[in-house]
Amino acid sequence: MSVTVLETKDLTYIYSKGTNYELAAIRDINLSIEKGELVGIIGHTGSGKSTLIQHFNGILKATSGTVLLDGTDIWQDKSKIRNVRFKVGVCFQYPEYQLFEETVYKDIAFGPKNMGLDEKEIDRKVRQVCEFVGLDESYFEKSPFDLSGGEKRRVAIAGIMAMEPEVLVLDEPCAGLDPKGRNVILDLICEYRKKTGSTVLVVSHSMEDISKIATKILVMNDSKLAFYDTVENVFAKSDELIEMGLNIPEITKLFLKLKKAGYDVRTDIYTLEQAEKELLALAGRGKKNAQ
Amino acid sequence: MLSDITIGQYYKADSFVHRLDARSKIILTTLFLVIIFMCKNFLSLALMFVLLVVSVLACKVPVKMFLKSVKPIIPIVIFTAVINVIYATGGTELVSFWKISITTKGLATAFFMAVRIICLIISSSILTYTTVPTALTDGIEKLFSPLKVLHVDVHTLAMMMTLALRFIPTLIEEINRITNAQKARGADFESGKLLERVKAMIPILIPLFVSAFNRAYELAFAMSCRCYRGGEGRTRMKQPKMRVGDYMMLLLFAVIIAGVILLNHFFGKIV
Repeated sequence: MSVTVLETKDLTYIYSKGTNYELAAIRDINLSIEKGELVGIIGHTGSGKSTLIQHFNGILKATSGTVLLDGTDIWQDKSKIRNVRFKVGVCFQYPEYQLFEETVYKDIAFGPKNMGLDEKEIDRKVRQVCEFVGLDESYFEKSPFDLSGGEKRRVAIAGIMAMEPEVLVLDEPCAGLDPKGRNVILDLICEYRKKTGSTVLVVSHSMEDISKIATKILVMNDSKLAFYDTVENVFAKSDELIEMGLNIPEITKLFLKLKKAGYDVRTDIYTLEQAEKELLALAGRGKKNAQ
Repeated sequence: MLSDITIGQYYKADSFVHRLDARSKIILTTLFLVIIFMCKNFLSLALMFVLLVVSVLACKVPVKMFLKSVKPIIPIVIFTAVINVIYATGGTELVSFWKISITTKGLATAFFMAVRIICLIISSSILTYTTVPTALTDGIEKLFSPLKVLHVDVHTLAMMMTLALRFIPTLIEEINRITNAQKARGADFESGKLLERVKAMIPILIPLFVSAFNRAYELAFAMSCRCYRGGEGRTRMKQPKMRVGDYMMLLLFAVIIAGVILLNHFFGKIV
């Protein structure tokens, strides 16, 4: 049975309320995210993705509407908002800018330390997460500013993972990395979810990246929630996605073209394996028709 | 909070004040500041105040914007006024208790100081609201160019000012971003004693400095890529030009200085 972990009700956020520059960043968002899902959040620049995720851990407070974590309003007790931030770990865009400590170890320990854990527990968490993101002990005493871009990114993400949040939210975790670095981060996210069973939300521009890892896709368009559905169901609406100015995976594009050319194929295909199966099936059907 | 900082902000509008040359605006503002401290009685102060109100209205910037720039200095104004009331001597004594005596002279001095500080802020706000930062620094560069004789590198100083002004909003944005990121890791900026609060700023300040230095390197690199070599032989696309309006305003201010001196002379000095 699935359990809802994060829920929003009529969430609306308006920037510069009461002035001439009033602008709704998100409008009437109703969502419920189930435990253990890996949700890919996609949308145009300025569609409200980043604003939305800043509500999940109470960095922003909604103009109207509520965010429920495990069934309780996160703003129920204003003084406890810090506890919400330990449960919903948000890793912002270009997280390497948040590094500040003298050593990698201390920087990763910053979050757990703020949780008020004892030394032993902090040490356990830091070591565990470092092993997980592939930073061995030789990194512990290095300055985070001496690392390469990809390594910095991993340290920063580890800093969030070390808090062992129930819900991990990553805003564009692959931005500015080379293809190899991207794959490392994407694998890391999948592994993390498998190992801890926690819910993961990933914001991305890249449909290809999202389609590789997500179980569900959330599409934001023009400050509103356009779709929240399984990957197949979302890609089945490729036409609408294209209309929103979003890119769809190359494979899905190919099948859309085949369909337009008059071939009887499915259009919710987004992996190589599915494509192979569908093409073989099409070939099979073709033969039958010929006979 | 941080977004309330109005120093160096430009407010786009089409007004007589906006069209004045940056140089004359700098001179006029400086003159205004000097005259406001020359005022010795209520009449001359009133004259300057009227001039200020007219200028504020003429520049077509909402009055709300000026109030916003005055707001942060209110504590300073009150502090200065109180100090003046307590320490000024002379005039008739109104109330006295313990070692403090409040005199008419003290009250007048306090009032004058308060009005002067507020006028000071508003007049410099007129300058920054109506002049784009680049025009402002260009104006400063032109005005101070005679100092080149003394081997002062005026161009470099002006360029540094331009860049500093340009990066204020960028750095504010950066601070917000870093603050949010550290909050997401459970950093606490709102509670604790003073020392703890100061310590809590470290996770913001270090990344801020690191990125500011990185930006500076990148900017220097980008500038040298576009062959920037300092002020030597550099020309401008838009040459600032003093027009009739500029000379008229300078003349008007000369008349006002004369007026203030006469008012001071004929109506007695209070402070």
